[in-house]
Amino acid sequence: MIRNNRMKRYSIVSAVVAAGAMVLSTLPAQAADPGVTATEIKLGVSTPLTGSAGLAYGKVPGAMKAYFDFINANGGVNGRKIKLVVRDDKYLPTLAATQTTNLVLKDNVFALVGALGTATHSKAYTAASLASKNVPDLFVNTGFSGFGNTTKYPTTFTVLPSYAMEAKIMSKFITENFKGQAVALIAQDDEFGVDGVNGFAAGKLTLANKTLYPTSSITDARAKALLTGLSAIPGKPVLVLFGTTDVTALILKAAESLDLVGKFTWIAGSVGGDANTLLALGVKPATITGVLAASFFPDAKDSSDEYVSQFMKINEKYNKGVSFDNTVLQGMNSAMLTVQALRAAGKNLTRTGLIEAVQNKGSKFASAGLVPLNYSATSHIGYNGYWFGQLNAKGELKPFGGTLAIFTTDSAAGAIEASTYTRPALPKNGIPTNS
Amino acid sequence: MLNLTSNKKRLLLFILLGWVLLLVGDRVGELRQYQGSFVAMYSLAIASIILLTGYSGQLSLGHSALMAVGAYAGALSINNAHLHPVIALIIATLTAGVFGLILGVAVARLTGPYLAGTTLALAVSLPTLANQFPILGGEQGVVFDVGTPPVRFGEGFSQYKWFFWISSLAALIMIWMISNLLNSRYGRTFRAIRDNQISAALAGINTGRVKVIAFAVSSGVAGLAGGLLVMLISGVSPSAFPLSLSFSLLTGAVVTGVYNLKGVMLGGLVLVAIPEIADSLTTRIGGSEGFTATLPGFLVSALLILAVLFAPNGPGHLIKRKKR
Amino acid sequence: MLKFITAVLTSLTTGSIYALMSTALVLVWRSTRVINFAQAGQAVFTTYIGYEVTIRSGSYWIGVVAAIISGALIGAVIDRFFMRPIFKRIKSGPIVMIAPVVATLGLLGIIQAIIGFIWGLTYQSIPAPVSTDGFQVFGSTIAFSPFNLMVLISVTISMLLLTLLFQKTNIGLALRASAYSPEIAKLSGIKVDAIRTLGWALAGAAGGLAGMLFVPSSYLYPNAMDVLLVFGFIAAVIGGLDSLFGAVAGAMILGFAINFATSYISSKLVFPMAFIILILVLLIKPGGIFSSRKGRKD
Repeated sequence: MIRNNRMKRYSIVSAVVAAGAMVLSTLPAQAADPGVTATEIKLGVSTPLTGSAGLAYGKVPGAMKAYFDFINANGGVNGRKIKLVVRDDKYLPTLAATQTTNLVLKDNVFALVGALGTATHSKAYTAASLASKNVPDLFVNTGFSGFGNTTKYPTTFTVLPSYAMEAKIMSKFITENFKGQAVALIAQDDEFGVDGVNGFAAGKLTLANKTLYPTSSITDARAKALLTGLSAIPGKPVLVLFGTTDVTALILKAAESLDLVGKFTWIAGSVGGDANTLLALGVKPATITGVLAASFFPDAKDSSDEYVSQFMKINEKYNKGVSFDNTVLQGMNSAMLTVQALRAAGKNLTRTGLIEAVQNKGSKFASAGLVPLNYSATSHIGYNGYWFGQLNAKGELKPFGGTLAIFTTDSAAGAIEASTYTRPALPKNGIPTNS
Repeated sequence: MLNLTSNKKRLLLFILLGWVLLLVGDRVGELRQYQGSFVAMYSLAIASIILLTGYSGQLSLGHSALMAVGAYAGALSINNAHLHPVIALIIATLTAGVFGLILGVAVARLTGPYLAGTTLALAVSLPTLANQFPILGGEQGVVFDVGTPPVRFGEGFSQYKWFFWISSLAALIMIWMISNLLNSRYGRTFRAIRDNQISAALAGINTGRVKVIAFAVSSGVAGLAGGLLVMLISGVSPSAFPLSLSFSLLTGAVVTGVYNLKGVMLGGLVLVAIPEIADSLTTRIGGSEGFTATLPGFLVSALLILAVLFAPNGPGHLIKRKKR
Repeated sequence: MLKFITAVLTSLTTGSIYALMSTALVLVWRSTRVINFAQAGQAVFTTYIGYEVTIRSGSYWIGVVAAIISGALIGAVIDRFFMRPIFKRIKSGPIVMIAPVVATLGLLGIIQAIIGFIWGLTYQSIPAPVSTDGFQVFGSTIAFSPFNLMVLISVTISMLLLTLLFQKTNIGLALRASAYSPEIAKLSGIKVDAIRTLGWALAGAAGGLAGMLFVPSSYLYPNAMDVLLVFGFIAAVIGGLDSLFGAVAGAMILGFAINFATSYISSKLVFPMAFIILILVLLIKPGGIFSSRKGRKD
């Protein structure tokens, strides 16, 4: 009996302690739009810093911060400095939901920028009540076409072309250049792969073989088994890899081991196609040579490109120790878009104002992208196209066939069109002056 | 006579607890309401572990999978069958419970590491099944939208308070029911089996059947917790139930005191508070990316080890020992 | 035909790595009755040490030796300074079964956090010491390279050495005796505690070797061996947790089952296959295939 009482007391105590802890840490209610003071704008990002997703995208937050630091050193935005709060969500939906909620309720950020992952962000968006709180969700780092749905995600703006777009344009490219050869796909079994499969269907390309593997289940053994099976396809099949860089590297290395590199025409999807990372992971330069990849940026090694060379300089100064590659380019580009959006929203900075700024003026923002941005009052979709290139032994992506050919399309059944888009010139010294 | 009073006392205690939570929920901000919902959910999940391991002596590493079963059942009820959220949560509980029943029968003959190994295998393989059946939505999963708070609660009633109410109420009711169960004849039977299976069998207890019942009930509770989890993150997907979730629950159970249902809220609080504390620490100290990303894991693990070393039977016993 | 041969060859490679992990787990289980989840962390940690040594010395083999030695040392330290105090404190009650397991879980978390803190979170690579290009057999390249052969040989030699140790030496006898009846062993004059520490040291060494053999075909990062731990554990349970032979057999069975299922049926079956095999085995023989007693009451 005594024991029972003690236990009961203990449980009451623990409840009261818990309650007290919550009450004592109550935050006062926030007025108007949080995250903006006279001197500072707070932005937030929830992203994986670890794991295979971290391998592919881990450099993006650092790159964004580097660009923001550069702008802060050059007067900031309308006199305010930009502060970026980065939270690691390990690519887990539960963590993404709590971290995004933390960004909104605890860190009181003004807007989110560069959120990553579909399974993660789609949950985080609703869990953190981004729609009802009208929190701008700029330039999400994912190619899932669903984020362009403004009914479900009213404050979200995509930037990357969707995986469906990529697959559609890839279909056209394959059909035109590799007529008669079978096409096989090895894809990650999530929105990345599924979106891709749908894109190939929309592009009217029949796949001779389609392998969807559970994330992080590809080992050397499995890759060898897959490739052996695919090597039975006659001719020189086109093999499309829609996976993260570590998996792409594993598959390429398995091909080296089996002496099957020359058996296929390799196409690496955008997520796993960063040549620098592939080489760093041990893929031989001879294997990389000739691999085809799609991109919507200039190649990160092309220092003759004005955007690339400016970003390289910023990276050198503000992101020491990090090698410049496609993910860094992507991060800095998103940051530059963000700065222009903040400028366009005016000195009286509100969340609604920011959203309208991107809608109304976003399509004219300067960016490194070689394809157009499609923001408007009815569209929250960013880039919508790709050009195709071939990697050389140094890991540089050069336009296929010598001339740059850009194609744009949508994520559904729309046509694939050749594009004559020319991008705006780089603002002087990389510092936007738009309004 | 004694029995009735004890039951009534327990009921009053829970009602009092509910009242306290209600008042607290009114006073705190949205962030704390959201975190409070997680505390309630984790407390419930930990209770399921305590029921199975602490009271009937079966070690399961697969409760994340059981939560997943409940979660998917609940999500499909709301999303595909358009049922009321309360019904969805009940379905989550029942589905997981039935699953646990079947599983319990399958593993009834297993003990110790064999059971642990099987539940471990279950934990890593069950979520991947979501990719096999399109209706389960693959990696992206199924939406679980519990809806906005009823209009009659007024404008100021935030979504997070609604989450808090639902989670706390569900957790309170379920834990109260478990508590009653454990104080009944069944509870004593569980403990008998836990302490010495052979003696229990000699005493005439059908050990196999009781173990299965414990498994089924524990699974049902886990299923409810799973349903609550996906309500809080507004959707279910396989990656929401990694193996590390099972490990976290075990941690919470040990810190609470694996024998003791009473302090279960402390375990839930710990699981939510540690990342919070780690977060505050890293904001204050700063540090490399490696540091900030690994600190929460380090703290949880360190706490677990300290708990095992110094308070293996739970902090309640520790307090008792000190008082002597 | 090529598909079949590839499946067999890759299963051999996969199975042999699983065998090292399951052996390590069985070694600890037999000497301590504990499932050591920290094995994954220990193995990765010692592999990082091996990685550092390889980079600095330029030789993979020196790195392997370093990994094995550090693995043994770390295993021994963990038993002496971590597990022993836990056993001392927890003498009674069902917590006896749970506490050590949970403690190793905690240890795993700490080790992985320390690794992430020291070496960062990015992926590292250890290049293989011999060629990874497949052998040429009758004009075509097969899915078996000099490196795979090296792994297989290394694992076989280790298993033989361990079996020799257990069956033919006094120390081996002491190890087996302490596992089955610590009290009687003590009465015979065997220093049970020291023997147990030896068991942990051997397990740690096996884990270190496993890591060094695994990483060249994959990557090195804090969680690199988590999946291996799960499969190693399942393999050990399939084999019966009783004998080294069981551990190896279980690992091979698991490796073959998974590789064949993913090759011939669907690549989505990686994890479900493991569960199916496990539950099938345990339904028929609750103590694992090669266990001596049915349904051990542990």
